[in-house]
Amino acid sequence: MAWIEATALATWVRESPSLWAYPTVLTLHTVGLGIVVGASTVVDLRLLGYARRIRLSSLAPLFRLMVVAFVLNAATGILLFMADATTKSKQPVFFVKLLLIFAALWCTMQVRGVVGRNDVQRDAEVPVRAHRLAWITLLLWAGAITAGRLMAYL
Amino acid sequence: MMDAFVSWLQTTSLSHAIVSYLWVWPAAETAHFIGLALIIGTVGFFDLRLAGAFKSVPVSAARDLMPFALVGFGVNALTGLIFLVGHPEQYAHNVAWWWKVACLALAGLNAVVFELTIGTRTVQLGAGDDTPVAAKAIGVISILAWFGVLFWGRMLPFIGNAY
Repeated sequence: MAWIEATALATWVRESPSLWAYPTVLTLHTVGLGIVVGASTVVDLRLLGYARRIRLSSLAPLFRLMVVAFVLNAATGILLFMADATTKSKQPVFFVKLLLIFAALWCTMQVRGVVGRNDVQRDAEVPVRAHRLAWITLLLWAGAITAGRLMAYL
Repeated sequence: MMDAFVSWLQTTSLSHAIVSYLWVWPAAETAHFIGLALIIGTVGFFDLRLAGAFKSVPVSAARDLMPFALVGFGVNALTGLIFLVGHPEQYAHNVAWWWKVACLALAGLNAVVFELTIGTRTVQLGAGDDTPVAAKAIGVISILAWFGVLFWGRMLPFIGNAY
């Protein structure tokens, strides 16, 4: 882990006084969080029965937005990890965060399947399984945010 | 006068409580981030509809998610107040914090202008209807203002000195 931290890129992110280094990487990570979790939340709320007049199929473009924002967060997340690799690789809460993110992603892909399957006629009735899925997805994202925030404390 | 207010705020028992219970700050930060995602998601979706995306969604249907935006805003106003009362000194002279407040004011003013002018007409637009240029402008301004709030909030420790 020490060599990752010693690379020129990691050193720049960590030590450059420029606002383009650590502050911008961290801000983009938060922007990505807002878009991924925000867009996912809109779909999940719809599956839970709110805003029923929105056709499920019309929410499909939100998944493209999530993919773009998630790529941004994977990239900025790798940079943030590199900058502080020895510490973060020893933090249990970091691995909890990764686990929660992967679980939330898996659930979001299942949600995408539900949205894709629904046609206009069947739109009003969301299957019970999708209700559960939406709840679990929301809780997993909230958990991932919590774990991420706690990395600064634990 | 502001310094006097900051000094007074620091002497209140509420301010002491916020700082002395060590779990309050991280718990409030976590709630603040969850509220952030709720606002960006629900407000952003309505703004995108105003801006001309998601045309298959009736404008009024996109607006049905606004109660959740209010929940997110309520959570973040409360947790934001916790930060402010806990450590007023690190925000009062922080240029990033004032920019954040300015962006919040812009987002609020923009929403009020929408409600008082084209709001009623715009929410009657159904599936497939395009939005007028004024609605598109208001949608784009709202998105920029909210990401401005996020940007300046994240910059609090770097441009100013808050955590």
